[in-house]
Amino acid sequence: MIELQGLTKTYGDKTVVSDISLRVERGEFSVLIGPSGCGKSTTLRMINRLIPLTQGRILLGDEDVTRLPAEQLRRRIGYAIQSIGLFPHWTVADNIAVVPNLLKWPRARIASRVDELLDLFHLDAGEFRDKYPHQLSGGQAQRVGVARALAADPEVLLMDEPFGAVDPLTREVLQNEMRRVHEQTGTTVIFVTHDMDEALKLASRIALLDAGRLVQYDRPIELLTAPAESFVSDFIGKADLGLKLLSRRWVHQYQQAATMSSEAPHHWETDAQGHPTCLHGGRPTTDVAPSVAVTDDWTATPGMTMKEALSRMVWYRVGVLPVIDDAGRLVGEVTLEGVMGRQP
Amino acid sequence: MGLDAHDEPRRIANRVLATLLVASLAGAVLLPFAAMAPNRLVSGESVSLLTALRAWQVLGLAALAGALALACLVRPLGERRGARLTLVAAPLALLLTLYGLGDYAQRALTDASPAARVSQGAAFWVLVFCTSLMIVDAFQRLGASLWVRSGYGLLVIAAVAALFAAGTFNALSILREYFNIEDAFVAQFVTHLTLVGLALAPTLAIGLPLGLLAHRRPATRGILFSVLNVFQTIPSIALFALLVAPLSALGDAVPWLGALGVAGIGAAPAILALILYSLLPIVRNTQAGFAGVDPATREAARGMGMTRRQILWRVEVPLALPVILSGLRIVTVQAIGLTVVAALIGAGGLGAFIFQGLGQYAIDLVLLGAVPTIALAVVADFLLQILVAVSRPAGAG
Repeated sequence: MIELQGLTKTYGDKTVVSDISLRVERGEFSVLIGPSGCGKSTTLRMINRLIPLTQGRILLGDEDVTRLPAEQLRRRIGYAIQSIGLFPHWTVADNIAVVPNLLKWPRARIASRVDELLDLFHLDAGEFRDKYPHQLSGGQAQRVGVARALAADPEVLLMDEPFGAVDPLTREVLQNEMRRVHEQTGTTVIFVTHDMDEALKLASRIALLDAGRLVQYDRPIELLTAPAESFVSDFIGKADLGLKLLSRRWVHQYQQAATMSSEAPHHWETDAQGHPTCLHGGRPTTDVAPSVAVTDDWTATPGMTMKEALSRMVWYRVGVLPVIDDAGRLVGEVTLEGVMGRQP
Repeated sequence: MGLDAHDEPRRIANRVLATLLVASLAGAVLLPFAAMAPNRLVSGESVSLLTALRAWQVLGLAALAGALALACLVRPLGERRGARLTLVAAPLALLLTLYGLGDYAQRALTDASPAARVSQGAAFWVLVFCTSLMIVDAFQRLGASLWVRSGYGLLVIAAVAALFAAGTFNALSILREYFNIEDAFVAQFVTHLTLVGLALAPTLAIGLPLGLLAHRRPATRGILFSVLNVFQTIPSIALFALLVAPLSALGDAVPWLGALGVAGIGAAPAILALILYSLLPIVRNTQAGFAGVDPATREAARGMGMTRRQILWRVEVPLALPVILSGLRIVTVQAIGLTVVAALIGAGGLGAFIFQGLGQYAIDLVLLGAVPTIALAVVADFLLQILVAVSRPAGAG
């Protein structure tokens, strides 16, 4: 748990961050978001005191860490930044081991921790341990950057627009990976971004800032459905509110049993292993063939967002998607009616 | 399709080598290879390469020239194999030239008077210079690593040293001059190195912190660099002269400084001047080295909880070191050269022979000061290049 109490930063008579108080529970994924210059990065950097705070208190657990020497505090808080900042003269393993080394962990414990973290990010330890940063792709480097931030099992992980500089494809992959890593490790995260879709995808709570002021701190759904003031809905964007909402909904929430009976308006055909092979009916328009072979492109998985599922329905012109498990077996379906029927 | 001059197929793959080869051949034919004089003070009679060398030596050089001509061409070897051939033929030509000169001197002096001298002529220098450049050029074309170059350089140096050890050059005028002043030479050589060392140590002690200061406090940069720049623009002789008056006054006024050797002439002004010249490259490279460290790396180091000292020693210094050492390389080579001029104010060093030789119109004495200075600079440059390469972080690619 980390709690900010009345965090304030002024430069001369200019107030950059004004009296921000918020509490992030253990294991929560909290996102600070807002337009440029709203003070989100400043707030984040005040937490590990890269920027000294003008006023306020920071509690880590029950401990007031406002007066703790900055270096000691930082070794308890993970930190990952957009520009990554891997040490170019050290190997991946040495980079990840920075904080454990500063904390003087025994050598064997550090080595096993490094391998564990590489493993967590699906980087083959044997291959990557001794590589140098310049030998990594952007996505791999950012994974190592986050692994480094997690190395000493920090009480909080601060992330400052970590995926802002990678290409959209890699960003998507990294976001999914971040979700998985967060679920696996249960680390408390405070994450800064200006991308609402990223926030909605990752956050368990969102803090919306404007001009140094905390406007609303709530669960994503609340932000969408119960904006505290008009700035909130303006910032989220009214135009695709419905799609934003679906980006916080998961296929498993909408999933129902797959229709197998040929009497129904649509039904699935599967092969001997239970993989869906063909959909009969279930197409919302009549200008297309009533039966269509299932391809991987328009299947859904339980962990997929409903936004993506809906997008696939629209693109492939089907009113229903098969939901498949890791082995590709049919475990259910999501339908267009289902998307419409469920109240947010 | 019409053929004009531009469409003609290229025959010469290595124009640099071709030019050097033509220059060496022209030099060998047109310029005197050696000079024979009745004593050390009169200029001698020119001897051409064809008369000075034995038949097998001339034939050997001709064969090597043929090999080098082959190495220039597109066919049949091409650039890379041509460069490899050059790396064999050029040093052999160099060694043969050296050996030929020594051999000629021995033969020419067997029935001459003891005062007679044989010295090297212009063609000799042209051949030594051109073959050395051929080797450098070939390495550049091959993109050879520093380690390969070092090993090769050591091999060539060892071969030349073996010729010296075998007494090949003992009959040459420059070597006879050396034997006359052997003790003084060793002493001045040591003095030269000592002056350079005594100048570089305080330069580093002052320059490295100043460079760090310039990096951390950008406001200091303007004044610091303009002051250091002023020293760089003063000609060395002028700076040595300018220091004479204040230092002699200082030595007289403060007796214990005087006792330490602070005086208007001698080592003190020389070392001081060398320090003033060396500071700018050291300070500037130190600052540039630190400035070259990615700010994100520094930010990450801070965010991870490194102290300022840890950031400096574990992150900034290792990353800045290659640039700082490049600065050291510049000033070391520069100081070795400048120390020659320091002989003018009585500091000693190899420059002493140069100025003595100039005064006596004894070219061999001048060369005895100049050639070792050049060799010293080349060796220092090479060693520091290796140091720079070693200091480059493994991750820098």
